[in-house]
Amino acid sequence: MNPVAGIGLRSPHLAAIGRERPATGFLEIHAENYLVESPALHAVERLRADYAFSIHAVGLSLGSADGLDTAHLARVAALVKRLEPAWVSDHLSWSVSGGRYFNDLLPLPYTEEALEVVVGNLGRLQDALGRQVSIENPSCYLGFADSTLCEPAFLSELVRRSGCGLLLDPNNIVVTAHNLRLDPRDWLDGLPGPAITEYHLAGHATNDADGEPILIDDHGSKVSDGVWALFAEVVKRFGARPTLIEWDTDIPPLGVLLDEAVRAASMIETVVVAGGQDAARAA
Amino acid sequence: MPLALRDLQAAFAAHIMGGDRADLVAAVAGDTIAAAARLSVHRHHVFESLGTALAATFPTVQALVGTDFFRGLARAFVGHALPAQPVLTEYGADFPAFITAYEAARDLPYLADVARLDWALNLAFHARSGHRLQAADLSAVPAERLPSLSIALAAGAVLVSSRYPLDRIWETSQPGAASETVDLDSGGSNLLVLRRPDDAALSFERAAGAAFQADPAFELSTSFARLLALGAFAALQ
Repeated sequence: MNPVAGIGLRSPHLAAIGRERPATGFLEIHAENYLVESPALHAVERLRADYAFSIHAVGLSLGSADGLDTAHLARVAALVKRLEPAWVSDHLSWSVSGGRYFNDLLPLPYTEEALEVVVGNLGRLQDALGRQVSIENPSCYLGFADSTLCEPAFLSELVRRSGCGLLLDPNNIVVTAHNLRLDPRDWLDGLPGPAITEYHLAGHATNDADGEPILIDDHGSKVSDGVWALFAEVVKRFGARPTLIEWDTDIPPLGVLLDEAVRAASMIETVVVAGGQDAARAA
Repeated sequence: MPLALRDLQAAFAAHIMGGDRADLVAAVAGDTIAAAARLSVHRHHVFESLGTALAATFPTVQALVGTDFFRGLARAFVGHALPAQPVLTEYGADFPAFITAYEAARDLPYLADVARLDWALNLAFHARSGHRLQAADLSAVPAERLPSLSIALAAGAVLVSSRYPLDRIWETSQPGAASETVDLDSGGSNLLVLRRPDDAALSFERAAGAAFQADPAFELSTSFARLLALGAFAALQ
């Protein structure tokens, strides 16, 4: 088994990656950054010969009660057709209301009504693309009093009803669990492991809210020790998956991202090999 | 009675834009971190991230006014008009007009024109490459048809006219450029911003200005040949 770890492709690194073609498992781009012509899009088309790609959308707003933006959906579908990525994903969140785009992954109440909205929008997306889309667990800063499901139960039911995949982000679990006073290991219980298609890893920041620490998913630092520990637990429970290092603010030199990806790959290998030995001993 | 999802999202949207909504705050579970403080994480992110997007699209404006002034300007614009869709390089078409009416920028009368130049550069950067008109294409057109031939500018080619020396302002605002005083009364500018057909470089062509200023020395054939060589025109349809 050769676990694959890749990095999020960010514009400051584009020239270096084009020149040096560093060894990394795959590259992920944000769909919304490549929907207009640009030298960056042409560079990505050239890189396809050497790397598998993942397209990660941030603006489809799958949780919008207003439904999907038809024009935006068509543009994302055209990009997917053009680049033929190995994976396509977006988030369990919403970002559009009344025709205005908020550029944030806003939280949903976990209710039957919201579940039906997401299942409907996601079905439309998967039909338009003609393929499965994976949904990422969000970083939460608040919960709604009227939620009737916990987040993992909501995701499990979404998988069951829509046939979507799961993009599991242990950093987001750590952020959400801290902010909403949950246990990150309990959060993993009952998730449909076989539906998981990809892992994301990133750093978070600690801010102050009402005099208390609140974790902010800013993708602006190395993966924290707590997230690495949860990642090891995730891999132990669910197995190896393509794993991505994301970095979006205060972007460091390319080598830092590549080193983090190597660390993720070696952790997967260690956990999977150790797990295999446990299994052999048990047998 | 819980809010229906559409109403919850409308209330959330209104709250982010500053209209504090008691019904939304009541729907959010608070504890030692109050619901309003939790909601403010999202309000902060919306304004900061869209301000960062505007700074990326209008780098010359930010270089001229500094990051603190720009943040205030961007916050005011975001509060005035959110994006209509998620492609952020397409956000900000109205930013130059907003600057014209922005009270705190009243002493910087050239700033809106600088924003128009940044927007033109943004459009050029994202223009389709496509085929450009070449001299050989014209030789294939019968001579009697030439006078009535209509030639369009290439995709992304934009003319920016200003009563201020925009080209000098732009050059001295580039990262690493030597600090220099530009005389705002040194004359206006007519700039052609376009995407080179063969690479990512953007080109200013000052000669285009001559065509607008009815310069007695204006030479049509020389200017046309120069623009043709730059790939300023779209291929004949």
